[in-house]
Parts: sequence; structure tokens; C-alpha cells
Amino acid sequence: MDGHLLISGVIFGLSLGSIFFLLAVGLSLCFGLMRVISLDQLLYYSIGGYITYTVSQLTGNFWIGVLAGTFVGGLAGLAAERLVFLRIYERDITFSMITSFGIVIGGVGVIKLFWGLAPRPVQVPIETQVVIAGTEIPLYRLIVIVIAALVYAGIWIFLNRTIVGKAIRAGIEDVEHVEGLGINVYRLFSVTFVIAGALSGLAGGLHAPLIMVDPQMGLEVLAFTFMIVIIGGLGSIKGTLVSSVLIGQVVSLGSLVYAPLAQMAPFGIMLLILLVRPTGLFGSPLLKR
Amino acid sequence: MSKLGWWSGLLLAFGALALLRLVLPLPFVIEVVIFSIYTAGCNFLLGRAGFISFGQPAYLAVGAYAAAFYLTYFGSNPYLGILIGIAVGFLFALAVGPFFVRLRSDYFALVNLALAVIIYYLMQKVLANITHGDNGLWFLTSLDSTPVLDLTRPEQFFLFALLVGFAVWVFYKYLDDTIYGACCLGSKINEDKLRFLGYNNFRIRLVAFVIANTTTALAGAMYAVYLGFVSPEITSPTRAADPVVVTILGGVGTLYGPIIGAVVYTGMKDVLSKLIGNWELVIGFLLVVIMLAGEKGIWGSLEPILRKALARLPMRRQVLADTEVEGR
Repeated sequence: MDGHLLISGVIFGLSLGSIFFLLAVGLSLCFGLMRVISLDQLLYYSIGGYITYTVSQLTGNFWIGVLAGTFVGGLAGLAAERLVFLRIYERDITFSMITSFGIVIGGVGVIKLFWGLAPRPVQVPIETQVVIAGTEIPLYRLIVIVIAALVYAGIWIFLNRTIVGKAIRAGIEDVEHVEGLGINVYRLFSVTFVIAGALSGLAGGLHAPLIMVDPQMGLEVLAFTFMIVIIGGLGSIKGTLVSSVLIGQVVSLGSLVYAPLAQMAPFGIMLLILLVRPTGLFGSPLLKR
Repeated sequence: MSKLGWWSGLLLAFGALALLRLVLPLPFVIEVVIFSIYTAGCNFLLGRAGFISFGQPAYLAVGAYAAAFYLTYFGSNPYLGILIGIAVGFLFALAVGPFFVRLRSDYFALVNLALAVIIYYLMQKVLANITHGDNGLWFLTSLDSTPVLDLTRPEQFFLFALLVGFAVWVFYKYLDDTIYGACCLGSKINEDKLRFLGYNNFRIRLVAFVIANTTTALAGAMYAVYLGFVSPEITSPTRAADPVVVTILGGVGTLYGPIIGAVVYTGMKDVLSKLIGNWELVIGFLLVVIMLAGEKGIWGSLEPILRKALARLPMRRQVLADTEVEGR
């Protein structure tokens, strides 16, 4: 394998990992705090992609589209939390998994209703190529990586430096004690859901120019997102980051070696990791409190 | 319970399925019967052993591809194909079971999903020179017509599917009555207690896993023989949740839930996709509503009502009234 291919492969993997991170971090946060498996993040990802498509066509500016996608993703998250999840926090984890899967399927139906079946292309906003070590790299992919890094830093600051973030972190440790301190945990849950939905929407918007938006796009990344959250350990932000970078590289470099490997190798890795460490790399035991 | 009482429900259910044939087209009823068998495995796993699996297509594909390989490359007897599908499905479940049933239920769902994805790409890309990738294996024309029940003819295949389904349901109903069935339920509800009673949870779960997934492989082999065609689409990850959805739609852990679920699901898919071309919308939100309403499913909600109606028959009315008074 020659060097140019390797460098572009690594960058490609990093940008893919960034998208996966944005998508998986919401799932991971939701699990950590509320102990629900919120598959509906995949729906906000598709919605984010579609809103980006429509708004950037209307305004002619891709970045306004991404902002709108992020906003609508957060809004959809809030709606789902208020209407559905509020009623099922007390139930079993499996319960939230199935219910949120219902939301995804229903949402795919809604998307088909509005935008139809055909995949829609989104114009790449920046066509510039940057030369790194003699290899041409699309600037857009680098921007995606930077945005994901900023989001990670933002989440870190939010969780460690603000009072709401600290409450969320405390809630991940022990929700009842936080409630005992007089903090309204249900408001925390809503905040977390909005953040998660918005980040998924952002992931969808950023991914849209690299793929085509189609109604099934959420289901296509379902397995990968799940896998990243599981490998990293449910509820751990750091674990999510490590595993999304890992999976991004495995997909990207795997496809350079042998094309079918790109899809299969991540699942093989997940099988191995789960059989050796059933709680993921950085996870705590998956238990309902 | 009297002997007749034991059989009456089963006969009624499959009698009703056979009657469906009179009003509905043949492909639809065959699809319903095979789909109910497919769901029966998932229902047993979810309702009895407490394992939710998003990877049932993996076992379906194992059965289907085992039958397809035999029918394409080695022989042409459909019955033998189905038997081979069951045998391979059994061995496969036995091989992966010990690793999987150790996991907790939520991880179990995902590891199964991973297995389904791996098998999908295995069949689509890696083994493409023997599975013909996305084009799939075609062997409909090379199937032997067999005496007694000719599986190459749809009408007779329907009869065969009905018989197989009946046998599967007799088996599951029998299983519910045995101590093993009670143990399964026990290991789902309170595994510690079961362990204190001296039972081995791991072994109970392993047997449940093998039983359920052998049933699934049987459904896969039947699909293969009925369609005369197998492609990787059968294990596509986007359809991974179908059996779980149908199980919950019908009512988790109920005996007839899978049949009702399969009829309703297949029906809705057919009718809605013809009417508005958008059945996901309905099925998705229906799932949410059912879950919010208490996850009993269609049959789970109907059963108590039917029982009450049965109890209202004049002969039993007095008994019911008495028990009600005692209850207060």
C-alpha cells in the first residue's frame, strides 16, 4: 500500500469517525443519564440530513442548512422526549429500545411522505483540495474533523465547567442523589435529549454532502452507531470518542485492503471485544438502576 | 384440562388459517404461515427466555442458504433441502449459543445484529463465487416434484406449510406445559431464585436459544424451497427488527400472538403499500402506541376478553359469579 493512499485513508477514516462520534455521543449520553436506549437518534440524523438538503437549496448556503438541521434535530428530540420517553423512563431498557425503534420506522415513513423515495444529492460546500505530505485531501473532510473536535471540547467544557453539566454528570453516577439535592432531573433529561438530538442532526447535516440523503440513511448507520456505543461502553463520552475513531479507521483502512472487509471487520471487532469485555472498553456494567 | 381442550385452540387457529386461503390469495397465506413460524422462534426467545434479538435474520439466512446450497449444488429433493436447513440451523445455533447466551439481554440483541450483518456481507461479497452475490441462487426449476405433497406446487406447499406450522405450535404448546417451559420462564423472571432451586440457568438458556433458532432456520429453509430463490436480502440489517416487531404486535409470550401478528403485519404491509406506499409510517407509530399502551399486543389484549366471553356461556356463569364474590 503506498503512502498517499494511506494518508488519504487515515483522513477519510477520521472524518467518518467524526460523524459517527457526533451520532453516537447522543445515544451514549441518553443511556448514561436516563438509562434508555434511544435509537431515535438515527431518525434525527436523517432529519438533519434532509433539512440541510432543503434549506441549503432554498438559501443557497450549505452552512445555514446545517444550522437548521441541527436546530430541527434538537427540536425533534425534545418532541420525542415530551411525547414518548417521559412515559417510559421507569420501564425496562429493552422497552425503550423497541419503542424508539418504532419511532425510527415511523419517522422514515414521515420522511418518505415529505421527500419521497429517491436519494437526493447535496452539493459539497467547499471543493478545495489541501495538500498534506504530498497527498491531496478535500478540505471539507478536514473541516468535519475540526467541527467534531470542537464539539468534543464543547461537551467536555459543558459537562465539567457548567452547573447543568455537572448535574448531568452527577446524574449519570446516581440519579436519586441528584434528585435529593433538589434538582429537577426531568429538566436535565430534556436538556440531554435536546443536546443529543441536535448533535445527531449536526451529524446528518455534515454527512449529507459525502453521501446522498435517502430515507433509509438512518437505518444504514444503525449498526455502526450501536457498535461504537457498545465498544466504547454505554455512558462514557471518552469511550465513544475512542471507539468512533477506531471504527472509522477500521472501515476506511479495511476497505483499502479488501473491500468487503470495510463492512465486516468492525462487527468482528465488536464480537471479540464483547466476548472478552462484556461492558465495552470504558463502560460500566449495563444495569438498570 | 381435557384432551379436547388442549387441542381445540390449536385446531381452531390453524383451521382459521386454512380458511384464510378461501378469501385471500395463495402467496399471501403462504407468506403468513412461514412468517408465523419465523416469528414463533423470536417469540419463544423473547417471551419465554427473555432474550431480545435483533439478529433473527442471521439464523433465517443460515437455514435458507443451507437448503439453497444443497438444492443448487448437490441435490434436488425439496424435503431433503428443508431437513438439511434444519440440521445446519441446529448445529449453527449450538455452536454460537454458548458464547451468546452468557451476555445480558441488551448486548445479546446487538451481538445478534452484528452476526446478521456479518452473514449478510459474507453472502453478498466474500462468498460471492458460490452464492452469486446479490443475484442470489436460483433453483426453482431444478426442484424435483415429490410424491404425496408436491412442494413445487404452491397449493400443496401451502398444505405442507400448514402441517409444519401445526407441528411447531403443538411442540411449543407442549413445551409450555413441561417443567422445562416453567424453568425458562423462571430464568427470565428471577434467575437467582431458579439457581437456588438447583437449576442451571446457562443450560436452560442454551436449550431455549437452540430451540428458537432451529425454528427460525426451519422458516428460512421453507422460504428457500417456496421461493426457489435465496439472496443476501434475506438477512438485510434493515429488516432485522421485523420478527421482534411482529412478536410485540401479536403479544409477547402468547401462544397465538405470532400468528395474529404475522397476519396483521403481512396484511398491513400488502394493503398499505398498495394504498399509500408508506407502510412504515403506520407500522412504526403503531409499535409506539402498542408499547405505550402496555406492550400486551393484539392477542395479549384480546385473550382476556375472549376468556371472559367464554366464561359467560350459561353453564359457567354461576361459577364465575361465585369466584367473584369470593374474590371480594
